[in-house]
Amino acid sequence: MAGPGALWEALQALLPRTKEELKPELGETAGGSVAMLLQEAAELFHGGRRRECLQACEALLDYSWEKLNTGPWQHVDKDWRRVYAFGCLLKAVCLCEPPGDTASVAAALRACDMGLLMGAAILGDILLKVAAVLQKHLLSGKRPAPSPSREPPSIKKARDDHVPIPDVTTERTVPRLHCPSLQYFKKHFLVPGRPVILEGVANHWPCMKKWSLEYIQEVAGCRTVPVEVGSRYTDEEWSQTLMTVNEFINKYIRNEPKDVGYLAQHQLFDQIPELKQDISIPDYCCLGDGEEEEITINAWFGPQGTVSPLHQDPQQNFLVQVMGRKYIRLYSPQESEALYPHDTHLLHNTSQVDVENPDLEKFPRFAEAPFLSCVLSPGEVLFIPVKHWHYVRALDLSFSVSFWWS
Amino acid sequence: MDQEHRGTWFGFGFCGFGQALGSGLGRQVHSPEPLRTPGGNLDVCSVSASWSYTAFVTRGGRVQLSGAASGAAGGCTDAWASEELLVLLRAGPGDGAELQAWAPGSALRGEPLWSQAVQEAEGGPSRDETQAGPLPLLPCARAYVSPRPPFYRPLAPTLRARRLELGAEHALLLDAAGQVFSWGAGRHGQLGHGTLEAEPEPRLLEALQGLTMAEVAAGGWHSVCLSETGDIYIWGWNESGQLALPTKSLAEDGKTTAGGLDEDGSEVKRVSSGEDGAPAPFIAVQPFPALLDLSLGSEAVKVSCGSRHTAVLTRTGELYTWGWGKYGQLGHKDTTTLDRPCRVEYFVDKQLQVRTVSCGPWNTYVYAVEKEKS
Repeated sequence: MAGPGALWEALQALLPRTKEELKPELGETAGGSVAMLLQEAAELFHGGRRRECLQACEALLDYSWEKLNTGPWQHVDKDWRRVYAFGCLLKAVCLCEPPGDTASVAAALRACDMGLLMGAAILGDILLKVAAVLQKHLLSGKRPAPSPSREPPSIKKARDDHVPIPDVTTERTVPRLHCPSLQYFKKHFLVPGRPVILEGVANHWPCMKKWSLEYIQEVAGCRTVPVEVGSRYTDEEWSQTLMTVNEFINKYIRNEPKDVGYLAQHQLFDQIPELKQDISIPDYCCLGDGEEEEITINAWFGPQGTVSPLHQDPQQNFLVQVMGRKYIRLYSPQESEALYPHDTHLLHNTSQVDVENPDLEKFPRFAEAPFLSCVLSPGEVLFIPVKHWHYVRALDLSFSVSFWWS
Repeated sequence: MDQEHRGTWFGFGFCGFGQALGSGLGRQVHSPEPLRTPGGNLDVCSVSASWSYTAFVTRGGRVQLSGAASGAAGGCTDAWASEELLVLLRAGPGDGAELQAWAPGSALRGEPLWSQAVQEAEGGPSRDETQAGPLPLLPCARAYVSPRPPFYRPLAPTLRARRLELGAEHALLLDAAGQVFSWGAGRHGQLGHGTLEAEPEPRLLEALQGLTMAEVAAGGWHSVCLSETGDIYIWGWNESGQLALPTKSLAEDGKTTAGGLDEDGSEVKRVSSGEDGAPAPFIAVQPFPALLDLSLGSEAVKVSCGSRHTAVLTRTGELYTWGWGKYGQLGHKDTTTLDRPCRVEYFVDKQLQVRTVSCGPWNTYVYAVEKEKS
């Protein structure tokens, strides 16, 4: 394993040369006191006063965190996210001061991940570079992951393991097409807003062969990610928390999990660019108006049994199935009234009805609403038209990748 | 006017910008220390603390700034400090008063950003219980000041406001009849109407109808009010235990840190247990008022909130604090975050009775007098 001195040098090489350059590019928003504190942190860092620098970083992180939690996320001034990212950067590097033990380096990587999750890009995406260096350092010190005998076939399932696989033969199914032309897809599905499963489109992506629990732990195991805990996000006991991918797998996938945990709706491929090499962007996205950089790519990784309640999204969606199968039900936006959306602003895009166990006394019209359903298997791509209601349940340990485009 | 023992102001918590808090050394003070205000022993009668500076107002009408903002000025009856604006109420030339908004970085030199004449409350500048409370509520109770534009915000006269407090994105108002109103963003349950919806206009807290409130306080994302009988009602975000309700902990139980942060800067939280020792169900958000069943020994008479902590004063002069403690703002000689009220022993040990508490976002200022010998 490379010594701590080598790690420190590698990190120094990533940082700007002068302390004047060691700052995020900010507008007017943050104000004088924050600017003072940023400058002080940079000076303490350059002066080798690590402990005091860490204290200044904590104040920067705590203050910007409060700003990140004020107002809707979309309206948070980017400057606060930059300040947050900067605090994470200095904190991460300070924690790696020799002799950086494994716990400190892991904490430093966690700080990088917090900056990647909640901050905004600074200093030429420096957090991604620092994270890569830290990850490499952590992995070089570890023995290879435990033997493959703990792989999917022997993943212990939850106690109540009656996984009802819906009898889709009694339901109207989503049509399937093999590699339709762009024009055909546009005319028959995109424009009229009709769901379709595309075969032969993603089945040769590297992820289809490469991804396994073992591989994911290798590439992303020590990285911190957001996890949803609870059966579904409409439940009272539902919550979100942060943990490493290893912790997530050990707690919610292996070892007979007590609760449902779901690594859901997370832009994992921005956080870990190495994984992005294993996927592509479906060609059909070029039929949209937006730029390729604006396409939101989310990872959905979880055990058998995760449920996304019936809801609609404001963009077109290609849902690519990589590991395991998912049961998916789709309702047209025309049926919205029969789906009884919540009347709160927060949940107006979510139905009150539990699709596979509906309370028909409370929601009588639901029984008559027509729908399409399918079991989506690895290699297949489901097109979910914009605003189309969809319900998803994982039938196996599952990994899906969604592409939101316009 | 009764003879009052001259008391002392104390401070604890974050002082990373050198705000006069105790010795002012280091970035945090974990246990109450007597204030050393710049300019010597000033006769401070009120304190308004923002994140990076504190404004002290003296009985002689002087405002003194300490921390990232500095400067002093006379003829001042009230001050309200925020990062964006320092608002002063100054005695006008005639019998009116003037409201001034200054950029904190101006050191009170030159001209304020804006100013306007305001109606002085009846009975002159000395405030008693029945008159409109301090800034950001204006003495006439017809309007209040906001740190973000529009700075001057009228209030419906029918509201008969007595006290008004601002959180990060909400407002609380106590009226002359002891009713509480709230408005603003509600994402963290801070409005208390039972939902997470925003309210554009002051809305009465129906859950408190029938009760007469005496005090209100707003934290960053939580709200507290005290009834005339000394009960505490609390609602909003509980992510750091600021509601004194069980909160999900990210760190191990039972650990305390003294004198600083953990290696990786993580905070330590102590989680309360249910009666059988099992962890109580966690409450992240409390969207309508909860009555705190606390045996504090005597009734709660004053309350103040920081960003994520709460401080309550009892009739017998004891101070209780809870919530986020990372910067020592709870005053318990450590940096533990607590989700249950704890008495600040310093004042008991020194035989002091706490009379006033005023929280900045990450710190706490307290005025205490010596216990009268019976």
